[in-house]
Amino acid sequence: MSRQRSNYENTLWRKFERWVNGEDNSSMEASEKHEEKIQRISKEQQQDVVDFEATAEDVNELISKEKKRKIEALYRKYENWPQTKGIKIFTGLYRAMAVILCACIIALLLITVSYLPEFGNANNPANNEVPERYIENGIEETGAVNFVAGMILDYRAFDTLGESHVLFIAACCVLILLRADKKKEDKKKEQKKNITCVVADGNDRIYEPKNDKILQKIAFILVPPIIIYGIYVVLNGHLSPGGGFSGGAIIGAGLILYTNAFGFKKTSEFFTYKTFSTVTVCSLLFYAGAKSYSFYTGANHLESHIPKGIPGNILSSGLILPLNIAVGLIVACTMYGFYSLFRKGGM
Amino acid sequence: MGFFEFVLLTFLVVCALAASFSKNLLTSIVIFMSYSVIMSIIWIILESPDLAITEAAVGAGVTSVLFFITLKKIHAMKGEKEDEQTKK
Amino acid sequence: MGDWLRFIVAAIFIIGGLIVSGIATFGLFKFKFVLNRMHAAAMNDTLAILFVLLGLIVVVGFDFISLKLLLIILFLWFASPVASHLIARLEVAVDKDVKDECEGVK
Repeated sequence: MSRQRSNYENTLWRKFERWVNGEDNSSMEASEKHEEKIQRISKEQQQDVVDFEATAEDVNELISKEKKRKIEALYRKYENWPQTKGIKIFTGLYRAMAVILCACIIALLLITVSYLPEFGNANNPANNEVPERYIENGIEETGAVNFVAGMILDYRAFDTLGESHVLFIAACCVLILLRADKKKEDKKKEQKKNITCVVADGNDRIYEPKNDKILQKIAFILVPPIIIYGIYVVLNGHLSPGGGFSGGAIIGAGLILYTNAFGFKKTSEFFTYKTFSTVTVCSLLFYAGAKSYSFYTGANHLESHIPKGIPGNILSSGLILPLNIAVGLIVACTMYGFYSLFRKGGM
Repeated sequence: MGFFEFVLLTFLVVCALAASFSKNLLTSIVIFMSYSVIMSIIWIILESPDLAITEAAVGAGVTSVLFFITLKKIHAMKGEKEDEQTKK
Repeated sequence: MGDWLRFIVAAIFIIGGLIVSGIATFGLFKFKFVLNRMHAAAMNDTLAILFVLLGLIVVVGFDFISLKLLLIILFLWFASPVASHLIARLEVAVDKDVKDECEGVK
């Protein structure tokens, strides 16, 4: 055993240990000080006793009452310390540390920015042989007029697979967190029906204009063009700017508008939880299968049997068009799924 | 850097600061929407229309709709709160 | 001569759109009640954008791009009034002091 210091209880380390272990430091300290005080007071008392042995008992009582009052005041002071002064000190320190940390990060980032090469300079390290090859051989090798689509769905298709998986995992997490239990919901609804008759569906449409005729007519006119535009963006992903992600987001926005106008009952006729899961899982599986085929042929120097087509046609560029459709389906389903899960905890 | 880009970038910084400093959550979401619209214009100037379309559809559209629903779920919108108080 | 005429017509359209947009923004900050402000903001979405996009159509000439611009005008003229209608309806449903804001209704 290592030897203990005689004043071990009062060392900083012991205090820190106590604080870590969750023992109330301030009250302990307070109690220690009390004991000291009590001892002092009792010593004085003894001296008093020695000096005036003849004094009556009531004096003793008076002294003990005063002592009690002092101890109580001390207790109150030390017990209230964390609420009164401690929080103030903590918030002040917190703000000061936050400002210092922010300033440090800003300074670091600014120093890094000052070392960056000039924006748009031709001699930048980003303009090396990689983009040159993409620009020169991209159309021949991928068959896509839009370089970006050729890059993200052909050269770097593995990254895009990861991105679609991120979306899928996010949808799964939202499902786990927000999906309402059906049995519980039914019970709740029954209870509510017993208590009050007026329950808007999903209880969040109380103030919203429900069954608005103008909105329904306009949505009837506008939703098909929006979805057709989204499909156009997805299908033209290899010819013009756009692609799976943006087109899928547009389709999802159209579905959200449809839900807002007509309610969940009409959407659930064609889009339920089952369609959501089948569509996302099938498109992810198709994506993985198609890309694993081209990885297999590419890694073993085999000839790929997918026709490239003439660059510029709609049916060209090999696998990019079906992959775009798969990504678009995943994104559209995820967008609408997020919306309906946030809104009522189901689809 | 041209004059237009300079105006857009300053507006972007102002929007970011306003979104973080505004007291009302609803206003800060609306400012966030305008932030992503400006961001999509900047993407177009930087010649990446793919990103611009995605930013406009996801950032300004779907994300803010999700934010609005979340605000509604936690009853942080002003009108509803008052009504609930009067109900109680 | 034709180019000059086209430029002048386009400039008149675009400047008119910008003026309308400025008036709408001024009204957005000037008015006190939600319904008034909604009216000012809706003007920005419809009339100002109509003028600006018409000016752009005149600049481009009759082309595939001008057809797209026409489609954008059509979409906005469908979507924006409905959005302001929904805002107004929500305001009327939520706000209990809405009768104080309206002058005619008593």
